[in-house]
Amino acid sequence: MRAYIVRRFLYAAITFFGITVATFVLVHAVPGDPVTFYLGKHGLNASRPALEAIRHEYHLDEPLPAQYLYWSRDALVLDFGRSTIDRRPVLDLIAEKLPNTFELNLIAFLLAVLIGLPVGLWSATRSGRPLERGSAVFFFLLYSLPAFWVALLLMQFFSVRHDILPLFGMSSDNAAALPGPRRLADHLMHLVLPVVTLAYAQTAIFARFTKSALTEVIRQDFITTARAKGAGEAIVLWRHALRNALIPLVTLLGLVIPSLISGSVIVETIFQWDGIGRLYFDSILARDYPTVLGLTVATAVVTLLASLVADVLYAIADPRIRLGGDAA
Amino acid sequence: MTLSESMWALTWRRFRRSKLATASLVYIAVITLVAVLAPLLAGPGRAVVPYGPNAPDLVHRLAPPDARHHFGTDDLGRDVLARLIHGARVSLSVGFAATLISLIIGSVLGALAGYYGGAVDWVISRLIEIVLCFPFLFLVLGIVALFRPSFWTIMIALGLTSWTTEARYIRAEFLRIRDMEFAQAARASGARDLRIIFRHLLPNALAPVLVSASFGVASAILTESALSFLGLGVAVPTASWGSILSVAEQYIEYAWWLVLFPGLAIFTTVAAFNIIGDRFRDALDPRSD
Repeated sequence: MRAYIVRRFLYAAITFFGITVATFVLVHAVPGDPVTFYLGKHGLNASRPALEAIRHEYHLDEPLPAQYLYWSRDALVLDFGRSTIDRRPVLDLIAEKLPNTFELNLIAFLLAVLIGLPVGLWSATRSGRPLERGSAVFFFLLYSLPAFWVALLLMQFFSVRHDILPLFGMSSDNAAALPGPRRLADHLMHLVLPVVTLAYAQTAIFARFTKSALTEVIRQDFITTARAKGAGEAIVLWRHALRNALIPLVTLLGLVIPSLISGSVIVETIFQWDGIGRLYFDSILARDYPTVLGLTVATAVVTLLASLVADVLYAIADPRIRLGGDAA
Repeated sequence: MTLSESMWALTWRRFRRSKLATASLVYIAVITLVAVLAPLLAGPGRAVVPYGPNAPDLVHRLAPPDARHHFGTDDLGRDVLARLIHGARVSLSVGFAATLISLIIGSVLGALAGYYGGAVDWVISRLIEIVLCFPFLFLVLGIVALFRPSFWTIMIALGLTSWTTEARYIRAEFLRIRDMEFAQAARASGARDLRIIFRHLLPNALAPVLVSASFGVASAILTESALSFLGLGVAVPTASWGSILSVAEQYIEYAWWLVLFPGLAIFTTVAAFNIIGDRFRDALDPRSD
């Protein structure tokens, strides 16, 4: 067990190194000089010495490997430098906007699990019947809907036509003046559309994944054994099948984070939600390299840690992994 | 060879049993035909739509669907149906090309990892792990925006970031079949590694990858339209389904036709590719008979 975990950590360290190198190389392979781009965009003119000073501050006057070492040395202590847009530390920007993204994603995720898991369970026991087959097609279609289109349709229906929900933003303009409960209600109203936009596809994924994992388990011998022993169908399903089906679900949780963040970029941009997805989009457009680099590395590392935790949990839950040797 | 041919025939027979899958296949064929024939369908003097995708009709800007413009017009008075027909070219070619790129990268890397194992496998597995840690859209947006949005950058960005699924499938298949008798026979007859990999093993490992390729086309089309929607798609004024929607966002208050039709085009095409992939996977499963 310990050997397994040590090896996972070692791999994670190597992967981390790979992540930083890949990000760094990608950003620096971009044609054009970020400093001149920045100055050009702000209509500024800098003298040659001033330009050199800026380049020096960002270590842009040194060879690429040296730049990488400077940057990674700082990144190790979570110092990603300052945004070129407003000169604020990138870490502050991330810390400020991360809770908003987290809020949106957590609610959407819980909603998706709460609906998707029971539906998947139901589908697995009713596999092949007309209603189940119909619902499978429905969820498949749901999964194929483009998120930005769903967002537009929801906005058009609920905000423009019926004026029930706010079009975008995280709160109304006058929210600060409202008393506590009203302010909360106002915020909740703003949450509805972005949460639904994030949640519908995930619900479909969860329903599908639970169903296929459960179907896979039900086919196995130990389920037949449980039935042969005379265990009731409910016991077989809940105690024997579901518990084993949930194990692969754990590994899914680690890998789901990047796709959640990808989804956040679109949803936050459309609904003008002040999270890291929108921050990334704005930084990309403004060529704010420190923020782009910082955000990319930060999210990749969070993903790495989550999948590490998931793998360790997996090993604890399934003795075949930790005793079986190489599972890479 | 007869054995694998009969496998394809069996799969095809199982696949066709699903009416939904057959319908999806026909739909994709029609859309592809529309994309190929776009200049003949929509353009000055054409029978289906007598307007080009970029021809402004300044008198009828933001006009709702009527006898003149069946799907309405956009803010510059361009015919939405004409733009949809020409937009199919962008969506489908990006979808197919990006998937082809990821199929090539994924197959080669997956095959090498599965065939040689050991250090080669280790390095490639770490590479996959690294790519999987990045939010997909971060990478795509980064590459596309920083290297200038164009048809080519979008295609390459999508191809470079979505090969991991293919690689993992091919790797798993290779681990399964690399020591089977036909592979041993090839080795015993003195075939070189590369010949064994690409001539003998790869054709036998391709089936599950084609499933993921179908899903891949769906997700590439989805991502391309999202990029165009965000303003990072193919250069204006080239028509694409996502770019019509980004115009729609500005006129969301009343121009419902700008929202509805391009969205439906993306949705139905993506759904069709997803359904084909799903039913194809079922059809490959020997337990489905």
